[in-house]
Amino acid sequence: MKKTNTYLHNPGYLKIELMLKGVRVDGKVLKKAGFDKCRDVANIACGLDIILPHNTWVTAPYAQDFVNDSPYELIEKDGGFFITDGNKSVKVSIAPIPEFYRLKTTSGVQLSKIGLVHGGYVAITPATQCDFFNKDIECRYCAGNLDINKGKGTVYTVEDVLETVEAAYKEGKAEVVYLSIGFSETADGGVEFLKPYIRAIKKHFNTLVAVEALPPKENKWIDETYAIGADSVLYNLEIFDPKLFEEICPGRAALIGRKRYLDALKYAATVFPSGTVASHLIVGLEPIESTVEGIDFLAGMGVVPILPVYRPSPRAKLPHYKTPSTEVVAPVYGYLYRAVTANKINISWVRDISVVTTPLEGRFFIDDNARVKTFVQNFYKSRLGLKAAWSLATLRRKLRVKVSSRE
Amino acid sequence: MKLEIDRRPLWVILLIRSFRPAFFLAIGLLFFYLINLPTPDGLTIQGQRAIALFAVCLILWVTEALPLAITSLMAIVLVALLDVLDKRTTYALFGNEAVFFILGAFILSGAVMHSGLSNRIALAIMSRFGGTPRGLLASIFFLAAALSFFMSEHAVAAMLFPIVLEIARGLNLKPGKSNYAKSLFLALAWGCIIGGVATFLGGARVPLAVGMLKEATGITIGFFEYTSMVFPTVMILLFIGYFGLTRFFRQDIPDIHLAKAVFEGKLKELGKIGYVEYAVGILMGITIFFWIFLGKTIGIAGIAIISVVALFILKLVRWKDIEEYVNWGVILMYGGAITLGASMEKSGAAAWMANAVIGDWANNPLLVIAILSLLTILLTEGMSNAAVIAVLLPVGIGMAGKFHIDTKTIAYAIAVPAGLAFCFPMSTPANAIAVSSGYITTRDMAKAGIAMMVLAWLVFNLTARFYWPMIGIRL
Repeated sequence: MKKTNTYLHNPGYLKIELMLKGVRVDGKVLKKAGFDKCRDVANIACGLDIILPHNTWVTAPYAQDFVNDSPYELIEKDGGFFITDGNKSVKVSIAPIPEFYRLKTTSGVQLSKIGLVHGGYVAITPATQCDFFNKDIECRYCAGNLDINKGKGTVYTVEDVLETVEAAYKEGKAEVVYLSIGFSETADGGVEFLKPYIRAIKKHFNTLVAVEALPPKENKWIDETYAIGADSVLYNLEIFDPKLFEEICPGRAALIGRKRYLDALKYAATVFPSGTVASHLIVGLEPIESTVEGIDFLAGMGVVPILPVYRPSPRAKLPHYKTPSTEVVAPVYGYLYRAVTANKINISWVRDISVVTTPLEGRFFIDDNARVKTFVQNFYKSRLGLKAAWSLATLRRKLRVKVSSRE
Repeated sequence: MKLEIDRRPLWVILLIRSFRPAFFLAIGLLFFYLINLPTPDGLTIQGQRAIALFAVCLILWVTEALPLAITSLMAIVLVALLDVLDKRTTYALFGNEAVFFILGAFILSGAVMHSGLSNRIALAIMSRFGGTPRGLLASIFFLAAALSFFMSEHAVAAMLFPIVLEIARGLNLKPGKSNYAKSLFLALAWGCIIGGVATFLGGARVPLAVGMLKEATGITIGFFEYTSMVFPTVMILLFIGYFGLTRFFRQDIPDIHLAKAVFEGKLKELGKIGYVEYAVGILMGITIFFWIFLGKTIGIAGIAIISVVALFILKLVRWKDIEEYVNWGVILMYGGAITLGASMEKSGAAAWMANAVIGDWANNPLLVIAILSLLTILLTEGMSNAAVIAVLLPVGIGMAGKFHIDTKTIAYAIAVPAGLAFCFPMSTPANAIAVSSGYITTRDMAKAGIAMMVLAWLVFNLTARFYWPMIGIRL
């Protein structure tokens, strides 16, 4: 391990560092933290969920080979956990492994195969399949994190998903249920498939639902997505640069098109509440200027840009791309914070994501305490705040959705 | 099902959505204000409460903020709760003869339609007399009217509509443009409207008025008595209507040989007349005979229900076949309106209101009839004809007492014009059905309808002035 500059003092920087470089951890410490094995759909984002100062969540890789070069190590001292760079250390906490991971559904499926907790979200992929793989037009950065075997994945039943949500909900791990779906060649972008899941979750639990899908061909499906109970929607453009978009995401470019992504996002921002329509732009797959241009464009439409950082995977088809450095990435998040606040987009919704730096966490990179915004976000994380958010979302839907019998 | 997302600012939506609760709150406040006012001289506390309830029901019936039937149910319960009438009397009023007559009429009319008899008669007449454009127009108009003498005008309009629509399509008439098509659909609507006021059977409003009158004053009007009173009005209006149809809409089609094929095809589909059609036809004939000649002795509701029982004894229909023809909402609405009307009369509220509202200026019976019939014919264009009766008749009965007018004439002055809604699709289902064809626009209907409405009001009042005294009605 070579000595480098570290960022223990700043949770924003530290989060990026830990996401990109991972954390070294001794087996005994790992055991004390309650971790025994990697947990993720396909062990892709296998990591420790660490809570840094200022309640900043991060999923830090610890089992992969590259973490041996990380300057950071997780240590245990007097019953507490610390991240140290060898010189200094910062106190952190380790998110306990959800109890429900050990349980199985009535049909015998391990709950951790269906739902995984990332910060305040339980992420569920009811169908782990993506038709792009069938056509060999999958996104080139994709490491098959949908457990894809030539487009054929598992489809979990509504009952299986409900049991998972129920277990997570009982443990207080389902503030938001995040449903995602791969590409299927239907006009609705997967809404029809997700409909029974969303309806069932909404029927049984007072929880918010976020949907990550592909833009449908017509806006009426966006209306439908909102009407059936989705509180947030993500259409992930991933790359803003038109040329690179076509090269890296050939399926999305050919079968959906960049224009449709942008149109759908623009329309969705008029249907869903402020701050609940989002799109990923992967930092590191295009020039930073292009990402910045994308941030401006999306924020200008009322869409929250979410910026995951690209980390190469042996299974991805982008051999020449490298992980960008923290120094390159950090200013982009600062810019994101400014763009989102300048466009008066609510930043309370996109929070507690442990695998991506959130817009509010962008405040760590500029000189802004964001006291009010932090207070509001903390309120929405409280029990009362969660109830208020759910009630307001339900009331808003009741007011906005009109169903008439005429065709 | 169509889904829409209202994307207006939330405060705008909230403001619009808060209108309904605010409206009901305002009605509640008005109600409490009215019942808590000092009781005026000459009015009992029960009368005051009845007026407060009447005011609330009036607003709800006019605005249709609640379904008419639900407002009526609320009225029944509140009459008892407010002690306007005792509970036993209040609920007993719902079992009024008129309610059972309407129920029986719905079932009988349903049986006629379900058997296919009405359809066959309609096709046979149009095929026989509809050889020329004028002949076809006349046969639709007079047939709709004649059928509405014996069946609910709404049912007649619904039954004839597909036939007229097929004729219009068969003749390649252009929707919204063809004058002939406009006249055909207006003939359907006007025929039903005019024919519908001729007897007790054309609509439930006349039995409603008769029921309210009986409960409030004990006065009854027989089937034949009513028809003989209004028949001249109906005949003159039919003549004017036909004349108007041929004048308003200049014929723009040379011949109608294509329509002939439509009739023949439809008649072929029906096949030969069967036992059920014969039996239902005969039973209906006997029923009408009894209504005309023994209605006063046996009671029209009794005759209707006995005929209904006979239908089932003879296995001419099954309950399942009939259910769709029975409009329970109308039955509930009428029961409530009769109860409220009776409570107004029995509590003295109707007389007090007539005195307070009209005062002494309407000192001539003909003027009272003219005003009431004008009010009715105007209101019925915008609100349910039954609601108009429920609103105006209690006041009218009070006025009859004040000016010593035969109460029956007041019932006629309200019941007959209440059925004469010519102007708008929302005025009556027959109009709505005609406009739904797309061949006639609301504008066309309103233009011709306003003229017809004025003429109908004049004809009614002239009949009252000159014909009624001839048959012994004291004005």
